Amino acid sequence: MDHRPFFAVGDFLVNIAIGVLTGLLCWAIVDTGWNMWLAMFAMMALGMIAGLVMFFIVSIKLGAMEVMVPVMFSGMLSGMVVGMAAAMIPLGLADAALMGGASGLLGIVIIWIVNSWLRGPVKQI
Amino acid sequence: MPDSVTQAKWDRIAPRFDTMAGGGAEERWQPAKQELFSHMDGKILFLALGTGLDIPTFPTGKDITAIDISPRMIDEAQERVAAYDGAISARVMDVHEMSFEPGSFDQVFTSCTFCSVPDPVKGLKALHHVLKPDGKLFMFEHTGSRFYPFKAMMNAMTLLTERFGPAMNRKTVENVRAAGFRIDEVNNVFLDVVKTIKAAKAG
Repeated sequence: MDHRPFFAVGDFLVNIAIGVLTGLLCWAIVDTGWNMWLAMFAMMALGMIAGLVMFFIVSIKLGAMEVMVPVMFSGMLSGMVVGMAAAMIPLGLADAALMGGASGLLGIVIIWIVNSWLRGPVKQI
Repeated sequence: MPDSVTQAKWDRIAPRFDTMAGGGAEERWQPAKQELFSHMDGKILFLALGTGLDIPTFPTGKDITAIDISPRMIDEAQERVAAYDGAISARVMDVHEMSFEPGSFDQVFTSCTFCSVPDPVKGLKALHHVLKPDGKLFMFEHTGSRFYPFKAMMNAMTLLTERFGPAMNRKTVENVRAAGFRIDEVNNVFLDVVKTIKAAKAG
């Protein structure tokens, strides 16, 4: 996690935003007639693409890899969760947005944890 | 003759390069770059100067030869070259066809370069050639990841980004070793995707 407030808050908000956006896309596209697995994989791919679009919008201010990897990951995670849920149960707009936002939050927290683990000198070069 | 396809690609990007890469990315990477460049000493080759975005993070008073394949990039860099408190000689040159004598440099520095060099091992071997026998290589690079799902994401991104700029999935540490360098240190800056590499000429 970047400890500079602008980047920490920016990462946090952008990942929640991509989660909400992907959740809403899932709500608009998927319904209970979809096969659950198809919905999951298709929305994971859509979430990654949405993340990529978001990256191009915010990268000028927020950075390169430190934005691209998390937003694509959070988009993918949100697509997986909300896409699968929308195929199983009738999902309202607010539920989809909330579920997507929570997945985006989970996404950036996972990235922060993994980064804390990987960051620093590599022992086995 | 420089690789005309690569040269044309970077010439096209040059006028917009600062907008694309000069904001958040440079600010994020500034502390890691400053640490890496603080090792600058002796006769230095800086590879892929671009528009000179890295110059403000160089320590003052150094003697640096900087090359880039793109004449437009070198043109864009002139203001930053002139503002540097030291000596920078900027030249248009392809890393694959450098005209320096063997053993010309004490150190070589790269910054987000080997994502874009078409034949990275050949390029790194060329750097090995122009370094003095005890010469050092210092790199700030983004690479592919060893870990899923990041590895798959970087591979997917490369299909798109290679058309207009860098590859996202290079195995730069392995390439450095394959070019004959001894790796002294790898330091992950973000995940295992952004990293600094310190290596030495071996053999």
